[in-house]
Amino acid sequence: MKVVVDGVTLDLPPGTSAIDAVFAAGSDVPYFCSQPYMSPIGACRMCLAKVGAPRKDRDGSWILDEETGEPKIFWFPNLMATCTTAVMDGMVVDTRSEPVKAAQNGMVEFTLINHPLDCPVCDKGGACELQDRAYEYGEGVSRFVFDKRHQEKHHALSDLITLDRERCIHCKRCVRYFEEVPGDEVLDFIERGGHTYIGTLEEGLPSNFTGNITDICPVGALLDATSRFRGRNWEYHHTETTSLDDASGSAIVVDGRTGRIERIKAGHHPEINKTWIDDGTRFGHEYADAPDRVRRPLVRHDGRLVETDWADAMDYVAARLTEVNGRDVGIAIRADATLEEGVAARALADHIGTGQLDHAPRPAGGVIAAGGQARLEELAVAGAILVVGDVTEEVPIVDLRIKDALRGVTPPSLFDHGAPIADLRLKERAPRHAEILTVAAPLRVDLMRHAGRAAQYPAGGERAFFHALTALAEGETPADGDLGMPLEAATAAVDGLRKAETAVVVLGGWVLASLQATEAALHFCRAVGAKPMLLGPMANSYGLELVGVAPSHARYAYGGMLTGAKALILSQLDPAIDPAVAERLDKLELLVVHASFLTATAKLADVVLPAAIGYEKDGTVVNLEGRMLPVRAAPVDAGESRDLTGFVKAFGEAAGQRLEGRSVKSARRWLKKGLGVDLDALPEHGGWAPAKRGPARVAVAVHEAPAHGGALRVPTMVRAEVLDRNPHLRAATGGLALGLHPDDAAALKLRSGDEVTVPVAGVPRRLVVRPSEAVPAGLATVPATPDEPVGLVPIDLKQIALERRALEVA
Amino acid sequence: MSTVADKPAAITSRFDPRYEITLYRHVGVDGAHTLEHYRARGGYRAAEKALTEMTPTQVIDEVKASGLRGRGGAGFPAGLKWSFMPPIDGRQRFIVCNADESEPGSFKDRYLMEDDPHQLIEGMLIAGWAIQATIGVLYVRGEYYVAYERMRDAIAEARAAGLLGRGVFATEPDGEGDEATPASPGFDFDIILHRGAGAYICGEETALMNSFEGLRANPRLKPPFPAQAGVYGLPTTINNVESFCSVVHIVERGGAWYASMGTDDSKGTKLYQLSGPVARPGVYEMPMGATFRELIYDLGGGPTEPAKALIPGGSSTPLLPWSDETLDLPMDYGTMARVGSMLGTGGVIVIPESQCMVDAMANVVRFYAHESCGKCTPCREGVATWLPKMYQKLLAGLGTRDDLTLMEEMVRNLRGTAFCPLADACAMPVAASFQHFRNEYEHLVDHGAPKYPTVSRWAE
Ligand SMILES: Cc1cc2nc3c(=O)[nH]c(=O)nc-3n(C[C@H](O)[C@H](O)[C@H](O)COP(=O)(O)O)c2cc1C
Ligand code: SF4
Ligand code: FES
Repeated sequence: MKVVVDGVTLDLPPGTSAIDAVFAAGSDVPYFCSQPYMSPIGACRMCLAKVGAPRKDRDGSWILDEETGEPKIFWFPNLMATCTTAVMDGMVVDTRSEPVKAAQNGMVEFTLINHPLDCPVCDKGGACELQDRAYEYGEGVSRFVFDKRHQEKHHALSDLITLDRERCIHCKRCVRYFEEVPGDEVLDFIERGGHTYIGTLEEGLPSNFTGNITDICPVGALLDATSRFRGRNWEYHHTETTSLDDASGSAIVVDGRTGRIERIKAGHHPEINKTWIDDGTRFGHEYADAPDRVRRPLVRHDGRLVETDWADAMDYVAARLTEVNGRDVGIAIRADATLEEGVAARALADHIGTGQLDHAPRPAGGVIAAGGQARLEELAVAGAILVVGDVTEEVPIVDLRIKDALRGVTPPSLFDHGAPIADLRLKERAPRHAEILTVAAPLRVDLMRHAGRAAQYPAGGERAFFHALTALAEGETPADGDLGMPLEAATAAVDGLRKAETAVVVLGGWVLASLQATEAALHFCRAVGAKPMLLGPMANSYGLELVGVAPSHARYAYGGMLTGAKALILSQLDPAIDPAVAERLDKLELLVVHASFLTATAKLADVVLPAAIGYEKDGTVVNLEGRMLPVRAAPVDAGESRDLTGFVKAFGEAAGQRLEGRSVKSARRWLKKGLGVDLDALPEHGGWAPAKRGPARVAVAVHEAPAHGGALRVPTMVRAEVLDRNPHLRAATGGLALGLHPDDAAALKLRSGDEVTVPVAGVPRRLVVRPSEAVPAGLATVPATPDEPVGLVPIDLKQIALERRALEVA
Repeated sequence: MSTVADKPAAITSRFDPRYEITLYRHVGVDGAHTLEHYRARGGYRAAEKALTEMTPTQVIDEVKASGLRGRGGAGFPAGLKWSFMPPIDGRQRFIVCNADESEPGSFKDRYLMEDDPHQLIEGMLIAGWAIQATIGVLYVRGEYYVAYERMRDAIAEARAAGLLGRGVFATEPDGEGDEATPASPGFDFDIILHRGAGAYICGEETALMNSFEGLRANPRLKPPFPAQAGVYGLPTTINNVESFCSVVHIVERGGAWYASMGTDDSKGTKLYQLSGPVARPGVYEMPMGATFRELIYDLGGGPTEPAKALIPGGSSTPLLPWSDETLDLPMDYGTMARVGSMLGTGGVIVIPESQCMVDAMANVVRFYAHESCGKCTPCREGVATWLPKMYQKLLAGLGTRDDLTLMEEMVRNLRGTAFCPLADACAMPVAASFQHFRNEYEHLVDHGAPKYPTVSRWAE
């Protein structure tokens, strides 16, 4: 459609909003209430412009201007809110004439009369939309001589978010966000007129995605409590990178100041997380600066770990390694190491001459589906979705993209100015197509609230579940108990998947933990023509499998090397939390630990090398879709911490060798040769990893013990292994939970909030009792960590020890 | 100005031969609210005619022919609105009655509901048939408790009598051979009665739907209009109480009869409401186009004290100065628009000479400030916050001439910039008061005291 904005002629698709036309033309109107990926509502009235359009007469031909002979422009009698006006063919928009300026001016004045103007002490100062727009479009003086509205200035909406009610300009972004994006209606306006303010019910903000409101609040009303009063916006160094918190590859922006990370904001990746991140990703950064962070290498002297430098430590390692047969050395790295680090680990293993190389956690079923893996963009438009697992905790962005699919709106195409400012297809309180979603898990999970069908199969029954579904798909009658839902519901789910143009089956960790369950699931996907989406346990599970950080033989896998190897090099893993493993590690000839904290394992080590964490490294990860994404180091003071490439460089120097992967650059040279990808030329939004072709090493399945036991290790949105070092998140979550059915808790005489220690698969876990109807009777849930991956394991509830009784609440 | 009162009234429509009291026939009559009374006087005949003898399209055509314009304030042609409903596609459709009557100066719907509830039920039934909506929603202003009770009881009576519910006016097959009439299943129609949430904005049609759904009464974005996405996002038509009641008579006596009354652009009869210092304030049914003079003098008995202005259609409509020309204006949509005001709900308020105009406007503004929903900036900050504070300042004797300029500018900024018409409803009368009575404002700021006495109301 032809649209003219301030004299610039554009050709825009129908349905475009006038505000996007204005920006596409390079013009500007101020706006506060519109927000990309959310419904336009026309509330702030900042975006007013003069709008006109030609009209057709009864015969369908344009009414012409008598003087010019051109179609006559009929101006709307009032100025129009451009955010809620759709373009029409021949429409003319004028953003510069006097009435428009006067209205913008007047609107800025109105917006400011009740605003406290406390910019000098406001965290949003310098990055505030109101400040900018007032400066650009306001008169600079206030004619309002009365008392301003006084309201609460430090209202804790939750442990993570503080609200300053005086600063709020009632744009409704936050309120709409909760309804439209996560679908958790936890915030609303209260009162009316000039008294309107936002607030919650007593429960605060029960949602996993609350922090996004601090990004979209145009003013300093909603603030990230972890970063309040920590710095001014112009002091922050912004690093656009990829989150290593889960396998989604979400874009984040790390804001640091004087060498410290102060906050994390959502980045924009239109095909992954849009502009949203979960609270674990956002608030879970405080551990980077925890007091027990290892900042310098440590070498054991006379039984004590003593600080030294990298060269000294590596001389020691290199010397000691010559005393061990290379084949007896095991190397294991955590699955959020970058591709480049993976190359470094391989190079190290090759140099030492060992086949004992692995990454962990590495699910038995693998994370790369042979054959078409679903992309998040496909998930977001799928006509039928089956989820097996707890995606909300596992990869929260998958949860949000499923909710996109429920709304049935395809992702917008982008303008030069980014995602549409006002996507007129999005509506407040749009109906959700719950019927397209089936969620199955051994317990009640959050996403079931949004699902048309929920199935609760017996814990450990993933394989049987998929066998039963496949039987249904093939026209047989399966055993009822395996499905965990009525037969008609299962039939409807299978039919939906088969008929949908795009059908996606999301496989969570409980499925991938078992090779047989994974195979059964993939078989089912083929049977109904659905694409699988495999949720890798960590940020680069996919990439490390791709580059072949894997053992040369099944018995050399991580679990095996803990018993079989004579020397171990472990990066960011902590197997010594299991006392039995700790005992064995203590007897090793050499234990080298690359870690960020003095973990149980580090405490046993001969050498501890300080490891960079996710915000501190450069590199590349491959997300669960198979998309390579850039990881960039924020300028953080992490002492002498290095990533694995730095580790290998130092090792090479000590050993007199120039190893591959001794730097990001060198690793990328290898990746270019080995995988044919040029990571230096990675496009802004990443690129697709090559299809898996027989890497040098063969990925070997980890040994799979049949699942049994009374405890289900569950994924958690907040990383369990560092929760105690994230004070805000710890307070918000109340600590790591031992989930029990209320009857089971009562039988054990446990109350909600009791702190207990209980052996789970031999590992004593300190947990907080959380009785919940969501957990089936007879099952306990405990949070998974990289060393205790998701799955069914034994628990000894007879050995449960009460550490601290919860305070009785009246 | 007392000279005006002495002048014999020029009567134009009082003797309109086609005119008789229709809408308010039963109002003020004891026991008129019962089904028995209503049926005994021909009640529900129009509905029976519509449902058994007319197709929905014929009903809509009849309403179109009548020229009926919505009586809720905006005056949108009712038949045309009904024809906007999308084709039947299996989705639930709703007919909604806006009985939230909250505009100061308007009190016609209240008596229609209190004294003649069945007339409204009949109107909704006909409208439901016309747009093929099987559910009617009657949203009654929260403060109208008697109206609510009467409607509640009347709906129960109608249900018991089979006039609401399944198969309204269903018939058995009758006769044989050529004469036979086949059985008719009748029309399924029922009314959900809902008490309003106690805010003026609940009367704005989309805010009303939100409120009915249990949400905050914030107006919704239009488009989509209610016909596309109304109650629960489903096809909906909404009309005012008086509009529905008028439909009963249009169906009964024909659109042509209705259109024969009134003026070119305003047909039929209208309930005018008269308040202020007049001998007989009240609701008067008159043909469209009757003059103010007829309403105020012939029916209302004239002002009881000298007047200086009148508000023609409820507090949101710009006032007109009291003069012979004004009094002789026909009260119809076109004329009111021509003189820069609006017919609105037809609530005529007489403002006496002795009333301080600034104070009167302060009261109007106070109302809209209190009722602003807070959704959009100009209304929340301008109408609900700044403007009332300016009036407070003026009345406290602290105003300056600059304040007057500021207020005029503010009002200009409010005109046509807000999300819904509520801000205009406040800005327009204020603008008119400045236009016609700026001298009173000037007197107040120059002398620090008003020219006429004020009433103290600011204590909240
Ligand atoms: C702020 C506001 C308040 C309104 N209040 C009422 C009301 O109380 N009753 C009413 O019938 N219409 C009211 N309206 C008009 C309705 O929005 C709508 O136009 C009307 O109900 C349509 O019915 P009609 O076509 O029969 O007039 C109000 C409009 C606005 C903007
Ligand atoms: S708190 Fe912020 S995002 Fe929410 S309505 Fe107020 S200004 Fe908008
Ligand atoms: S009205 Fe707020 S952006 Fe248009």
